[in-house]
Amino acid sequence: MEYDRQAQGQVTSLGGATPVMLPFIPSYIEISNPARATAVNGVTRAWWLSEMGNGTAMRTTTVAGPTDGTSYIATTGFEAFIAYSAKLYGPILPITTVTAGAAPTVVVCAGNHNLVTGDVVVFTNLTQTATTGMQGLSGIPWVVTYINATNFSINIDTSAGATFFTTYNSGAAIDNTGSCKKILYPFLYAPGVADISAIALGAQTTVTTTSPHNFVVGQEVAFRIPAPYGTVQLNSLPNITIPGSPVYGYVTAVNSAVQIVVNINSTGYTAFTYPLTARVLAGLAAPQILAVGDNNSGSNQFGYLSPIIPTFGGAHTINGPAIAGAYLNNSAMGFIIGSGVAGTAGDAIMWRACLAPIR
Amino acid sequence: MSITTTGNLGPLILQSLAPAMLYVPTPTMNTIVFADKVSMPANGGTICRFMRPRALQPPTVQLGNSGIDPPAQVPQRDIIDAQMAFFGTGCIINEQVILQDQEGVLAWVSERLAVAMRQAEDLILRDYILSAASQIAAGGGTNGDNPTNLGVTDFSLVAATLDTNNAYKFMSGIEGDNRFGTGPVRSCYAMLSSTEIQPDFDSLVGAGFLSQWNYPTNTNALPSEYGSVYNIRIFTSSEAPVARNASMNGRDVYYNTVCGKQAYTHINQDGYSMNLIYRDPYYSGMLAQNATLAVKFAQSQAITQDTAIRQLICTRAGNAVNP
Repeated sequence: MEYDRQAQGQVTSLGGATPVMLPFIPSYIEISNPARATAVNGVTRAWWLSEMGNGTAMRTTTVAGPTDGTSYIATTGFEAFIAYSAKLYGPILPITTVTAGAAPTVVVCAGNHNLVTGDVVVFTNLTQTATTGMQGLSGIPWVVTYINATNFSINIDTSAGATFFTTYNSGAAIDNTGSCKKILYPFLYAPGVADISAIALGAQTTVTTTSPHNFVVGQEVAFRIPAPYGTVQLNSLPNITIPGSPVYGYVTAVNSAVQIVVNINSTGYTAFTYPLTARVLAGLAAPQILAVGDNNSGSNQFGYLSPIIPTFGGAHTINGPAIAGAYLNNSAMGFIIGSGVAGTAGDAIMWRACLAPIR
Repeated sequence: MSITTTGNLGPLILQSLAPAMLYVPTPTMNTIVFADKVSMPANGGTICRFMRPRALQPPTVQLGNSGIDPPAQVPQRDIIDAQMAFFGTGCIINEQVILQDQEGVLAWVSERLAVAMRQAEDLILRDYILSAASQIAAGGGTNGDNPTNLGVTDFSLVAATLDTNNAYKFMSGIEGDNRFGTGPVRSCYAMLSSTEIQPDFDSLVGAGFLSQWNYPTNTNALPSEYGSVYNIRIFTSSEAPVARNASMNGRDVYYNTVCGKQAYTHINQDGYSMNLIYRDPYYSGMLAQNATLAVKFAQSQAITQDTAIRQLICTRAGNAVNP
């Protein structure tokens, strides 16, 4: 019918929440996982109708030969999504402990966090006593690495034991239960601003961010480093040479989703200090790096369905060709294959989705 | 005696539509008001490119008497690129609806689509700024959180930051007048805030906050203007960005965008802005049953002067928000 929307394709499982972008929000989803059928282990087929509600699924699980079983799950199934607004969060995840230690710092949740590597979270209420706890992590977007159903880690060294970067334990905390929550759509627009967790000084400056930066080689960037963090010489203003002219740097290498090299010679600059005891001082913002332009003079275009934005662990934008470093929109819609039906990371999942005109 | 009542002789028609539609609660859309406006030319590719020359080194060293010219400078420029994106939505309306409904369905659906499009423009700009502009955390309040609630020193700090960055203010000041209860308004940057923190502004009355109602004249004030503090005029909207329970102590975090001229730019596509499309049922299939009404538009956006914009993030003195 004219108003039907149908789509099908293949996606590689991330082992957990795996996104599929569509030009519509589906009312029916169906997947087949030949890899699980071949391995005789796991979910071989699953399906969902919008009337079942987000997060649910019907699934067929194979354990051995013909002993397939069909079951219904109320969570970790399929989710239709529309990524349209920033500052939308997932459910509050109560935290049991955040243990101070060498990077990565491990976070233990009270229940299943349902996060996957690449998700971004923010923390709140990590006060242990009036002067201890992990308050210093609060208010900053952190990219997580999956450990197990209740544990994940963030890439920060908290072993120095700085005030407000000491072990948090909810059982002994004063009047609060620490928590975190997932930022549902942290990269609706790119490139943007990112918080900094480390800076290595030198002939070129290596910057590590707390969550994916979305910068490319050639990106023009500026720094906002509050004085307590040390390396204020990187700040774009004031310029001591040319009045009023901002000092920018260019990204010369992208080492990882959370690390870049900038062509600013920072030799001799004040060392960057983080974690910082003063992090929770009223009015102290996180150190930031932000895109301010690019140095492309034509060419160096992205192709169709590029670039990859790390939303949901790495997905292309749905935009057409762009120039590297350009500001672009990354809002999208489609569905997420949840951890309860996504199989094993690397599985090739065949999917089909449709939107019925009559419901 | 037999009395005829509506019980045994009911009205032939049981309902009548009131003469006017009820209003649709619609937030003020402030973000686009302070955006620079640029039109992307048709047939001009996918990217709108901005160029800003860099300042040259002022020649502050004297030439002396050597007769030798100083080294030449190489002019430099900064390039900012933004990719156009296309948006749209619409409604499929069966001809029987149009035929049988007594109110003008097509008229009010057209109106709603137009408002939805304008809201989309604003929301996209709002979220883009959230992702791209750097932040200053409020520290002038007293609630013990990070960020704190707003204190007048926060307004002073962010205005000083933009002044130091040589940003241009939006509005010249308003001279004082001989009217009881009013006071002059400084030349100002614009701050886009949430209606939820209006009580915190009110608590600063006498400490630096001047209500719009206390301006010498409010002829040049926008309906959404709530007041001013020092060099900042405040415009509130229920759609201003809020990160719920995201502060150090679990309070809501409010993003107050403070900007000067040309801080961010809204880019439309020449020949493609605000298309309202009506398609007669004739085009819908062999029985021509369904009409369509739709809007589509193209837009992009860019931070064009990162030195002229900051997000002043804050919490509230309290955090209870009445429904």
